[in-house]
Amino acid sequence: MIRFVERRVAFVSRTNKSKTEIAAPSVPGRVQRLALFGPPPLIEGEDAAVYDQLLARIFAAVKPVDVIDEMFTADVVSLEWEVLRLHRLKWSLIRARGLEFLQDFLAKHLDYDLYSERFVDDLAEILQDDLPEDQAKEAQMLAYKCARNEADAVDKVNEILAGKRLRLDPILDHAKDHKVKELAQEYARREPGAVTLVHELLAGAGLSMDRFMANALVLKLDDIERIDRLITTAASRRDASLREIERRRAFLGETLRRSVQEIEDGEFEVIEPTPAEGKNAA
Amino acid sequence: MNARASTGPQTAQGRARALRNAFRHGLSLPLCSNPALSEEVETLAREIAGPDANAETQDLARQVAEAQIDLRRVRYARYQLLSRALADPYYEPRENTRNKAALLRFLLQKNAPDLPVEILVAFLNSTPQGPHKFATILSQEAKQLLAMDRYERRALSRRKSAIRAFDETRRRPND
Repeated sequence: MIRFVERRVAFVSRTNKSKTEIAAPSVPGRVQRLALFGPPPLIEGEDAAVYDQLLARIFAAVKPVDVIDEMFTADVVSLEWEVLRLHRLKWSLIRARGLEFLQDFLAKHLDYDLYSERFVDDLAEILQDDLPEDQAKEAQMLAYKCARNEADAVDKVNEILAGKRLRLDPILDHAKDHKVKELAQEYARREPGAVTLVHELLAGAGLSMDRFMANALVLKLDDIERIDRLITTAASRRDASLREIERRRAFLGETLRRSVQEIEDGEFEVIEPTPAEGKNAA
Repeated sequence: MNARASTGPQTAQGRARALRNAFRHGLSLPLCSNPALSEEVETLAREIAGPDANAETQDLARQVAEAQIDLRRVRYARYQLLSRALADPYYEPRENTRNKAALLRFLLQKNAPDLPVEILVAFLNSTPQGPHKFATILSQEAKQLLAMDRYERRALSRRKSAIRAFDETRRRPND
């Protein structure tokens, strides 16, 4: 979308290169006027530097010739920012819901081997509370044996946990939840190991990430439609501002042509032939 | 027809409510009612008209400036609405608040079932986050955003007409 706007503003700029250089306003004056047009429409989490960059790029491409041009250009910038924000929101919304579906899937299909290590660490931490510091290794070993389902170790752990009013199952579930979230986040960051593992698990169940995304889209359809309407409104207003800039450039060109004609008319007087010259010619 | 036949609110309560209509977001108040905005209109109008402008040009420049400052006011109101909602850590759909209140009322009754405290606390503290929060705000505030959009559309239309009229006077050859 930025490219589209830049292409349009570049077109406006290219077709009027000589004229725009005539009355480019001074930068301090422009900064003052931009304040009159409104503060940068930044919301929580948006980067002011990125907005300033977009502003500078579009102003450099359009090269506004007067205050009204600046008004329209500032409009293009803020509306384009809004369009980008809404596109981002739409994508994040589908992606977040898609990842929630993935987490639900992983919670059902994650192999015990993949979170047993985490389970051992969590359990060992709990067991260490009841053992002297120098026996930390023993707690780790007991947790490890328990995780391997060795009967003696399981009984001993259950005995210790009962004294603490705890049970094994919630600790196991906690370890699984943690691993599921971790794996989903790694997948979202496109870490190669996580991507391969998730795709293997999905393929094993005859599923794909596309299906989760499609489900997310269906579930969020009302929100998506609302965002799409907002995008359409902002984009059409942005385009209307660009059209007004183009219209004014054409008008400026016409005014300049007329001025040049008036100057030429004043400079070169039409000299009527004198009667004597007429006679000589005859 | 019905609107024309209406004589407005009848009760004292209705009249009081109608009186406050213009102050809900202040967007229907004229710019001249705010001295700071009026000053900004004058400053911008001077910039637009340029030096040595005749009375007609100055008047049209003022119309452009008024529409522009009005547009800024509408956009700022919308920006404030979104920013405030996004910054509110407890923002949630009204339906969620009602559900939470209903659950609490139910749990305070005699013979109410025991619910694990952690689950209850997690439910009461749950609010939409990230993109879900933004989407919730757009949905919950849709009515107000739509009203603001109407003001924005009108201001844009006034500005466009005013700019075209302003450009037209400059197109005319000087007398």
